[in-house]
Amino acid sequence: MKRIFKNISSGAVDLMRVWRREFYLVFHDAGVLLFFFLLTLGYPIVYTVIYNPEILENIPVAVVDNSRTSASRELTRMIDATQGMEVYDCVANMQEARKLWNEHKVYGILLIPEDYAHRLGRGEQAVATFYSEMSLLLRYRTFMSCLADVQLAAGADIRQELVDMIGLPAQDVNKMPVESEAYLIGDPTQGFASFIMPGIVVLILQQSMLLGVTMLAAGIKERRRRNGGFDPESVQTSPMITIWGKALCYVTLYLPLCIYVLDLVPLMFSLPHVGDFRQMYLFIFPMLLATAFLGQAISVFVTERESSMLVIVFTSVVFLFLSGLTWPRYAMNSFWTWIGDAVPATWGVEGFIRMNSNGGELWQQSHPYTMLWILAAVYMLAAYAVTRYTRIGMETRMLRRA
Amino acid sequence: MSLKYLKQALRDGYETLTSRRVYLVCLIVVPIAFTLFFLNLMDEGLPRKVPAGVVDLDHSTLSRNVVRSLNSSELVDIVDRSESFHEAMEKVRSGKTFGFFMIPENFQRDSQNGQQPTISYYCNLTFFVPGSLMFKGFKTTAVTTAGGIVQTNLISRGLTDGTASTLVQPVAIQQQQIGNPWVNYNYYLTNSFVPAIIALMVVLVTSYSICSEIKRGNSRRWLDRAGGSIVVALAGKLIPQAVIEICVALACLAIMFGFNHFPLNCPPWHIALAMTMMVLASQAFAVTVCCLITNLRLAVSICSLCGILAFSLAAFSFPVPNMYPAVGVFSYILPVRYYFEIYIDQALNGIPLYYSRYFYMALALFPVVPLALLWRMKRRMLDMVYIG
Repeated sequence: MKRIFKNISSGAVDLMRVWRREFYLVFHDAGVLLFFFLLTLGYPIVYTVIYNPEILENIPVAVVDNSRTSASRELTRMIDATQGMEVYDCVANMQEARKLWNEHKVYGILLIPEDYAHRLGRGEQAVATFYSEMSLLLRYRTFMSCLADVQLAAGADIRQELVDMIGLPAQDVNKMPVESEAYLIGDPTQGFASFIMPGIVVLILQQSMLLGVTMLAAGIKERRRRNGGFDPESVQTSPMITIWGKALCYVTLYLPLCIYVLDLVPLMFSLPHVGDFRQMYLFIFPMLLATAFLGQAISVFVTERESSMLVIVFTSVVFLFLSGLTWPRYAMNSFWTWIGDAVPATWGVEGFIRMNSNGGELWQQSHPYTMLWILAAVYMLAAYAVTRYTRIGMETRMLRRA
Repeated sequence: MSLKYLKQALRDGYETLTSRRVYLVCLIVVPIAFTLFFLNLMDEGLPRKVPAGVVDLDHSTLSRNVVRSLNSSELVDIVDRSESFHEAMEKVRSGKTFGFFMIPENFQRDSQNGQQPTISYYCNLTFFVPGSLMFKGFKTTAVTTAGGIVQTNLISRGLTDGTASTLVQPVAIQQQQIGNPWVNYNYYLTNSFVPAIIALMVVLVTSYSICSEIKRGNSRRWLDRAGGSIVVALAGKLIPQAVIEICVALACLAIMFGFNHFPLNCPPWHIALAMTMMVLASQAFAVTVCCLITNLRLAVSICSLCGILAFSLAAFSFPVPNMYPAVGVFSYILPVRYYFEIYIDQALNGIPLYYSRYFYMALALFPVVPLALLWRMKRRMLDMVYIG
């Protein structure tokens, strides 16, 4: 009985020693400080500033008006009046419009055919054609919604005229029998920053921690190479206590950063932020823990401080896509869904967005939340295995035996 | 004489490349694997059949008809039928659906006696692509439902079929998608993200290979073996890398445009030339950063930070003219931005080469910049102080 207590207390003391030592190492390493602090503090701002204009306004388009009637000019004016589009120039023919397009002055061409007004007058459907540049789908999407609105509005006006002409009782036609209302939830202004930032900030938390943790681990390896296989800075204790002590250090460093990244950044840029922050805080905790262990597990691949960047940086893009932020997870094949399942940020992004932007409660995120705890457990075991069965662990055990 | 040194430097450069596994992985495995990842991830082109919910409070023939026509749309897939707004909203919040379509009580009765019932639909735009597709699907159904009823009313008043359908939609604007008529997401994203990953890896490997010489205290020896010329030393190190990088980059292009038949509306050499120039420009970018920043480890960090920011700053999703001018201007220091412009002009829109001339010229200018700064790097290599 006494021995159990003694073991527990000595384990706790060791845990605190590892924890303290790791703090010391973090704060005496410019590279790690850069990743842990500068990256998490700076990147959310840089990214939001890039996307902060949120929506596309007044994209220039050219108009080729072959009809040259008041009806076609009315259509042109309506296009010009939309929020998303602006008539850059009315040109004589398609050749001139193509020239503007080639010179990158316009991103779309509206062609109003000769018979536009004729057809309207005859009571037939009038068709105009819009040629859309497809390099950026956000632009295409803006065109699409503006044109749909113009089409409906122009249609209503013209219907009114036709109905007056035919002599039907007007309210029959002009009053639509069914009204419809669209509600865009989570991102009511359809802003781009409001959509992408809540996901990006979670990814920044994970990636910056992975970079820092692998760099610290590579630092140990470098010191060991210099000191004949022995690292003077490490606390000699069991592998389990080592990985927990380090993980505690990283998580305690990141908890205050989370307040900034997950609460202050959305407030600063008035991004969607409707959920209960205390619940988000609880939600993000297992992700931090899982990431801290994941970082220790994958540090087996990194032998040199700088190469941690080579190995980790490009994964940000892969993880961004696996998280389903741009390409939804239901459309991925099961292989990529599985890989995505193994990344803490996938669940972190999914749950955080639903809480932050849709106002979900923690209990509604039970699936991602459970998955995060499972990942934390799995990566803890992986980190344990790595620490125990690689040379660091072996050498510690030999020292303890000696 | 200097040819001898160049040969020696090239051999040294080749040996560093083969000495470490990380070079092989970063130069060859990552770009190719990334290209295949993208192609396989988005091989559907568009994520159709968005999981959606329906709240039918009316339970009438008409409302069931609406639900059926909704479900037959290629854009949405009705996976949930809830009995109240709150229940449906909960499904959205827990991620089971991306939105729902709500038909009010007494929908059929009110629509026929002219009381104007309101259909409402809710789309979760926190996931942009499925949210937008769902919005499109819902809107179409809502509009056609209303239009169908109008048309029936008009025909019952004695108008002909043709006139009635014209009255429902007198003006139509057809949208023609130039270069990507399928609105294929894969064509759109792979063409921008793969070059950006290639540029990122080139910048990282270039800065890392220069940095590690100085870190290991090899720089003086490196310079000596190149006959004391920084240009020869760098050429020896960078040419073998460039050869591999260009081959890999062209292989990625071949996978995309050749094997997967991505739209390519220009002679292939236009885009191959742009890619080759982008690889060289990215190397030059990394060398410039290494010349400018005293602490070389910081240089690698800066390179990786720039490389990853390029994905946003080079405007693959949010266009430069709509960014804040003070932010958008930074996109023009990134080589991948110019490649992307050339890709849009040439491969996507197929416009004459003349209109892309400035982009090619900009790419050609990148390698000139570090030439003016190399003296700084040489000075540092001679007095090695490695700042940790």
